[in-house]
Amino acid sequence: MIKIRDLKISYSYGDAFTVEALDLEKGEVASIIGKNGCGKTTLLRTIAGLLPYEGSVTIDDTECRNMNVRDRAKKAAYLPQLIRPVSLDVQTLVEHGRYPWHGNNRRISDEDKVFIENALDITKMKEFQKRDLTELSGGQLRRAYLAMVIAQNADMILLDEPTTFMDIESQALFYEIAAELAAKGHGIIMTCHNIEQGFSYSDRIVLMEERCIRKTGTPKELVKEKKELRSIFGAAVKESEDKELLYQYILTK
Amino acid sequence: MKKYVLPTILLAGIIIFAVLAGNGAISTKDIITVISGGGSDTQRLILYKVRLPRIFAAAGCGAALSVAGFLLQGSLDNRIVSPGILGINNGAGLFVLLSALLFPFNVGFKCLMAFAGALLVTVFVSILSVKTGMSKTSVVLSGVAVSAIITSVIDLIISIKPETVADKVAFQIGGFANTQYQIVIFAFPLILIAIVTALITAPSMDVLKLGDEIAHGLGLGVKAYRCLCVLIAAILAGAAISMGGLLGFVGLIIPNCVRMIHKGKSRGSMALCILYGAAFLVLCDTLSRVIVFPYELPCGLLLSVVGAPFLIWILVKNKKRLGTD
Repeated sequence: MIKIRDLKISYSYGDAFTVEALDLEKGEVASIIGKNGCGKTTLLRTIAGLLPYEGSVTIDDTECRNMNVRDRAKKAAYLPQLIRPVSLDVQTLVEHGRYPWHGNNRRISDEDKVFIENALDITKMKEFQKRDLTELSGGQLRRAYLAMVIAQNADMILLDEPTTFMDIESQALFYEIAAELAAKGHGIIMTCHNIEQGFSYSDRIVLMEERCIRKTGTPKELVKEKKELRSIFGAAVKESEDKELLYQYILTK
Repeated sequence: MKKYVLPTILLAGIIIFAVLAGNGAISTKDIITVISGGGSDTQRLILYKVRLPRIFAAAGCGAALSVAGFLLQGSLDNRIVSPGILGINNGAGLFVLLSALLFPFNVGFKCLMAFAGALLVTVFVSILSVKTGMSKTSVVLSGVAVSAIITSVIDLIISIKPETVADKVAFQIGGFANTQYQIVIFAFPLILIAIVTALITAPSMDVLKLGDEIAHGLGLGVKAYRCLCVLIAAILAGAAISMGGLLGFVGLIIPNCVRMIHKGKSRGSMALCILYGAAFLVLCDTLSRVIVFPYELPCGLLLSVVGAPFLIWILVKNKKRLGTD
């Protein structure tokens, strides 16, 4: 479980990013939603240990800044928005997901093989496992990196804009994967631009505006906060009963 | 293991060629006699005191500079980086100049000073890089800045004491004409320790290739590993420079060639750098002493003839990537 209390991050240009209190649980999919520049990535990078901070950020009751980088990687995996197609095959990339567990004494054990196979299966990347990353499409590349993060087998999985470059089908597959991982007990925390997707596929929503959290709650709770949603996004959402629709929650004025 | 067979055979073949090639006063038959324990004092002297230390030095130097280049290019994500860019060579050059100024006839001391200079500059550049954020750019710019300062100090010394320039020029071209066992014995253990450390920590390089943030997410202490790479590269370059002078392009050519033929894990690439680097420098050194026999070309000159066009080729080949960097 991730607990954030009185978090403050100062930017070089003067403004500060603040979070009074936020709890993110294992076994659920949480989406951090907000406009560009509202601090979604900052929040994720702070939990990942990439930014210095004031206040408290704990993972399973251990203060983040006091954790060894490898111990933290065993607890929280992080996939940034920008990934690159290095010259490497998919199988080797996914094997890198086991790095926190072995460091430089890396020998792929039978246990590792199970995690790697499972990650390739779940992301449907098995057919591409011998393919070089430079030969993959943007969506396939993102799925390959996602498989690496899944192979890491961390309790919490932090994903920055995970559906970037994915087509509709791949996006749907991604949300299926996220739900499956959450059902297995992992906590999925991701940033998201698309309000409809965020509301439709998440167990918890974190609404952000201007470098602080405005509201948190389940989609069912937050769908009622129409005034708040309109002030942040200029639009609200409503729950639909229509099973034909792609998303359960749709945008309204 | 197949990928190591060819370079191993190549290295072995080049070493045999290097032992046999050269001064006509000692033939292949003589060499075999000397190895079997016979031969005259002169023949033994040529084999054991001239050719073998030279071959060891060239092989060690080639392996060390190639691995140093591989580590720097990998950790700084820049295929054009080499010990020279980080000011390591200039540091060694300055200290050689100082040794020529203070102890003009002590060859061993000159080598020690080259090593000390390389190491001191690396420590200084590392501290400066940490202070400026230890990013890929800050490390390179710190090296360039330190290098510029050292160059001005070198020019100042040469202006005041122009007689030291001869030592500097010979050192800057590089070569193994005056290699002695003492310096080989001093440099080899350092090269061995540094290369073993680089090989042990090679999986971290694989992870770093994915980018700083992903590597961090996978549990790699990015800054610490980058620092370690720069330090190992300095030890390797310092030890190599102390044996063979400023052999510029080895650290640039070999890692880039290895990357083109081997796309696997970094540990394998490093092993190939060791084999090809050693083979390449022993070959260049041997050719430099047989091409214009009975005269001898400086090995560094031959390397520059091959290295400079290669650098231009890399620039042209990477124009797209370089244009967006």
